Amino acid sequence: MANHRITLKINGEYEQVDVPSQMTLLQMLRDKLAFTGTKNGCNAGECGACTVLLNGEPVNSCMILAVECQGAEIVTVEGLAQDGVLDPVQQAIIDHGGVQCGFCTPGVLISARALINRNPHPTPDEISEALVGNLCRCTGYLRIVDAIQDAAARQESLAARL
Amino acid sequence: MTSQIEATSAPHPIGDSVRRVDAREKVVGSAMFADDLQFGAGLLYARIKRSHLPHALIKRIDTSKARALPGVKAVVTGEDYAGHIGLYLQDRFIFCRDRVRYVGDPVAGVAAVSEEIAEQAVELIEVEYEPLPGVFDPEYGASPEAPLLHPDLGQYEVANFIFPEPGTNISNHFRIRKGDVDAAWAQCAAIVERKYRIPHVQHVPIEPHVATARVDENGKVRLWGSSQSPFAQRNLIAKSLGLSQSDVQVIAPYVGGGFGCKAGVSMEALAVAIAMKVKGRPVKLRLTREEEFYTAFVRQGLVAYFKMGCDAQGRLLAMENRFYWDGGAYTEYGVNITRAAGYSSSGPYNVPNVKTDSYCVYTNHPVGGPMRGFGMPEMHAGLEQCIDELALAVHMDPVQFRKINCIKTGDTLVTGMTMHATGLSECLTRAAEAIGWGRKEPPSAPNKRRGKGIALMWKAPAMPPNAGSSAKVALNEDGTVTVSVGGQEIGQGSFTIAAQMAAAALGVPIDWVRVATPLDTNYSPYEWQTVASRLTWSMGNAITAAARDARRQILEMVAKAWNENIEDLDIIDGKVISYKSEEAISLKNIVIYGIPLPNDQGWVGGPVLGRGSFMPTYVTGLDAETGQGPRAVVHYTTGAQAVEVEVDMDTGRVRVLRGVAAFDVGKAINPEMVRAQMEGGFVQGLSTALFESLQLKEGVLQNPSFVDYRIATSTDVPPDIETIIVEVAQDDGPWGARGIGEHAMVPTIPAIANAIYDAIGIRVGAPPYTSEKVYLAMLEAGLVEE
Amino acid sequence: MSINAHPELPEFDYVRPATLMEASRFLAEHAGEARPLLGGTDIFVRMRDGFYHDKYLVDVKHLDSTDELSYDPQRGLKLGAGVNMNRVMASPMVQAHYALLAEACRSVASYQLRTRATIVGNICNASPAGDTIGACLVLGGVLNVHGVGGYRQEPLATFFRGPGKTVLQPGDIVTSIEFPPAPAGAAGVYIKLGRNTWSDLSIVGVTVYGYADAGRASGYRFQAALASVAPTPLLVPALEEHLASHPINAEAFRQAARLAQAACSPIDDVRGSARYRKAMVRTLTEKALQMTWKKLGN
Repeated sequence: MANHRITLKINGEYEQVDVPSQMTLLQMLRDKLAFTGTKNGCNAGECGACTVLLNGEPVNSCMILAVECQGAEIVTVEGLAQDGVLDPVQQAIIDHGGVQCGFCTPGVLISARALINRNPHPTPDEISEALVGNLCRCTGYLRIVDAIQDAAARQESLAARL
Repeated sequence: MTSQIEATSAPHPIGDSVRRVDAREKVVGSAMFADDLQFGAGLLYARIKRSHLPHALIKRIDTSKARALPGVKAVVTGEDYAGHIGLYLQDRFIFCRDRVRYVGDPVAGVAAVSEEIAEQAVELIEVEYEPLPGVFDPEYGASPEAPLLHPDLGQYEVANFIFPEPGTNISNHFRIRKGDVDAAWAQCAAIVERKYRIPHVQHVPIEPHVATARVDENGKVRLWGSSQSPFAQRNLIAKSLGLSQSDVQVIAPYVGGGFGCKAGVSMEALAVAIAMKVKGRPVKLRLTREEEFYTAFVRQGLVAYFKMGCDAQGRLLAMENRFYWDGGAYTEYGVNITRAAGYSSSGPYNVPNVKTDSYCVYTNHPVGGPMRGFGMPEMHAGLEQCIDELALAVHMDPVQFRKINCIKTGDTLVTGMTMHATGLSECLTRAAEAIGWGRKEPPSAPNKRRGKGIALMWKAPAMPPNAGSSAKVALNEDGTVTVSVGGQEIGQGSFTIAAQMAAAALGVPIDWVRVATPLDTNYSPYEWQTVASRLTWSMGNAITAAARDARRQILEMVAKAWNENIEDLDIIDGKVISYKSEEAISLKNIVIYGIPLPNDQGWVGGPVLGRGSFMPTYVTGLDAETGQGPRAVVHYTTGAQAVEVEVDMDTGRVRVLRGVAAFDVGKAINPEMVRAQMEGGFVQGLSTALFESLQLKEGVLQNPSFVDYRIATSTDVPPDIETIIVEVAQDDGPWGARGIGEHAMVPTIPAIANAIYDAIGIRVGAPPYTSEKVYLAMLEAGLVEE
Repeated sequence: MSINAHPELPEFDYVRPATLMEASRFLAEHAGEARPLLGGTDIFVRMRDGFYHDKYLVDVKHLDSTDELSYDPQRGLKLGAGVNMNRVMASPMVQAHYALLAEACRSVASYQLRTRATIVGNICNASPAGDTIGACLVLGGVLNVHGVGGYRQEPLATFFRGPGKTVLQPGDIVTSIEFPPAPAGAAGVYIKLGRNTWSDLSIVGVTVYGYADAGRASGYRFQAALASVAPTPLLVPALEEHLASHPINAEAFRQAARLAQAACSPIDDVRGSARYRKAMVRTLTEKALQMTWKKLGN
């Protein structure tokens, strides 16, 4: 069966990868490129642990073929922090105690980043709705929602200072 | 009773909500979980041939076609391993030998160069079965008519506090006979008798099970897995395979959610058994989410009968309980759930006359195992609804009724044990107050009705009487401290409180403390298991002892070097200070290199290494006939939850609007993490109350995916869960602490059920209280029209 | 899903034709072993579960106008097959003229799934539970289908043949769906009853759409479509007729809801019982009619 050579940008760096047709983006990230921060929780588009940004929009990376990502730009959890400085969503989720086992956290952070990008002032209801595809079994979600709201506020005050 | 026995002024950072030590690596994606470990090109992949029948004899297995498939490196069946395995009752084989007992039972395993080839090989394995009649209900299973699922029950090795009944499907029968129940009924002004059926649910960690095993040429086993119990796995796998414990090394990185399903041994033994046949090569087995639903531990189903009575003043006089636990195909772990439910079967109430029979029953259902609460959520689900009904039967307010009857310090418990200091009454009072008990709020729309409910809970760590912990505290050149423990970080924050306790007991800043990861049975000190909400208390005691040991070594060294008395010295903020000479010296360097004596006269000290152990030595056995004994358990954590719900009369949908959780944790080492446990547990409880059940039809799971096994999402939780920390110190806990992990979901089902009753006047029956179930109950009651 | 679900996707070839005709021919030549690929959110699940065994997935997202989302006051709305649901929801044109469609999209799974999921894909899966199908039906959706013989149109109302079955033939590719201009002041509601608040599949889904229509005795046209209560997504003509010929009031809505209840034929499954579904069709249809009535300014 056919292999495809694709070129794409992951966390700001170009990668060229040979992938078989049936390889998902998640498999490619984890098994080919060792971006193991992105997690496999169900492989069925239900749990959201594998969420990454594809051209700026969150997707379940288990629900997209690697070959479909030719020319795409991917951001994984490893790409959120810049030069060791955490993204506001990362810092806020630590500060609010929104991390427990940490397995859903990468997907949650990506969903949160995408939400704030499209809606800089999300309400708690909007945050909850944006997270409905990120199952978390530890936290009960409340601290995650608080953290995202706080992250949006922090980002705004950061922007105001610049 | 007094509100708080303040633990003697806690040192920094005990009681501080310090940030989690594992948070940063978890938010940047560098925290390693078992599936993230890299094994290189030599890695083999395992897949398992599983039974599609719930009960059958294996007549023939033909693996020849699978073995002939290119890329297949090993095929393993039950023929290869005759040893039993199990925690409290060794009733399992690693691979089935003569028969299969549930849908998913492992029959054969394959290792191949790719997962696809392993899969193809599994499909090529031919198994011929002779189907047998099944047992799909525990009450039927306990009856003499039921087919026998474990004819060899009498031969299995079993812990001495478990009582199987060979020749039946009852693998444990725990009895309580306290007082005279029969005589007490005549004194009762009201008696309530109810039956409840609690469905199987599952833990649903977001990380599925995964294990990689490698066996060296010399037979030494190495196992990397997502594990709450590296030491128990080492022990049980070694015993089953006839190895020395020291020849089995279990390495356990972060666990992506456990809740009990990664305790004991389950699929890990399969990986090891397969790896034994391909020495030198790592073999990785990961469960798909579907396999996870079919084959990982489940929370046992329960059929519970309660009978309870009280006098006209509302004083509980008697309880008579019968529990039929649906233990599933193997009850190696589940037998102790039966026991735990038995010795706690009065609930957190003072009841003079109690008769309990708690049966663990084999069925052809998935294997029951430990799940957050270990029998307590299931048992309390019915018990706390009965308490409400009994209160109403004597025209008492349920909160008032509970105030009268709930366990208080010094009470004689159902096993005869005397209750230690407890803040349950305060939890009750404060939870009721916080929910606005007695006030009915108007509904948000005309087609909705509101109600409030409350429930209490208690739970003791369920474990062998002598489950031990140990810890090491080593100091580094720069004064930093490496704490080694065998207790796992499964999200509850154990590594963070480990660091806090070490810092406090030693006298160094919290950010000087590191926790040695990953857990590795070759290097980490022994810990029984990360279960039972026992780490803060038990491992905490070991850490504290180890840190004090290191502290003593440091002070002795400095005392010698300075020619001072040790009593005049202290370690504060990473420096040894003398109250007498007002000298100070940083721990830096001296904790490894020692301190030079004046005039080149040699050195004192040396590398500082503290060690600490803890094991409860006071837990006694219980009489097999009466369940009575001086000390059944180490302690009970108690608490209360209150909720407000709104029921949509159009659809039956129940929405939890508000939740309150109040628990007596003895001492909150890290209050925000305690609150986080209370919130997360509440939501997991809410999820089991409203959404979750494994739908089993003749042993076949109907909803083995997230599509149809629904759990609470971010939009199903109340916007606010108020958490109340009560601190009545535990006499043998570090700084007075006892555990709070499981407890947080124990009273949620009955609290919600009681609130639904308050809203619509209906007892809906078995959870989950789905919109359909509630609606049909309202239809039945004539509350709505068809 | 079965206990034997594949851990990963089974082997197949990903095919990316250069033209629609090439794609149609390939699909026709490989009938039974090739499938057009849009978002893939259902196909991948079914392949992993061993339910689909296709040798080829033919990516049609980039072809012709499959990426087009356009609106013209005279011609209406056109949604290319590759337009994902989030894009539909975010479109100001959709929000202004086809708010019902955006509301239906919002009920589908999660945001990240909707980045891939498409309305045309939802339709082609022909699941009785398809959340966006009801809206597409009442909005008068017409599919543009490209087959080996070129383009043709298929009205949605006659598109479904059974669960997972449609009128499409091997080689057919739905390239877009078009909707006529929405009548002035039209309003609609999608009530989805799932097990969770959001993200679930429906136990029952009720779509109601209405607008003032002088051509009818009641002065209004109401339509309803039901999800998860019949082998295919279900329009309820009896409801439309009743509300066209009776004065609009609470009793008319009640009666119309009973007609919807009579029209459906739900089954018992893991998501809900037939009895509950029947009851909910009546309750939720009545509620959806009242909500639509309110939206119409009454």
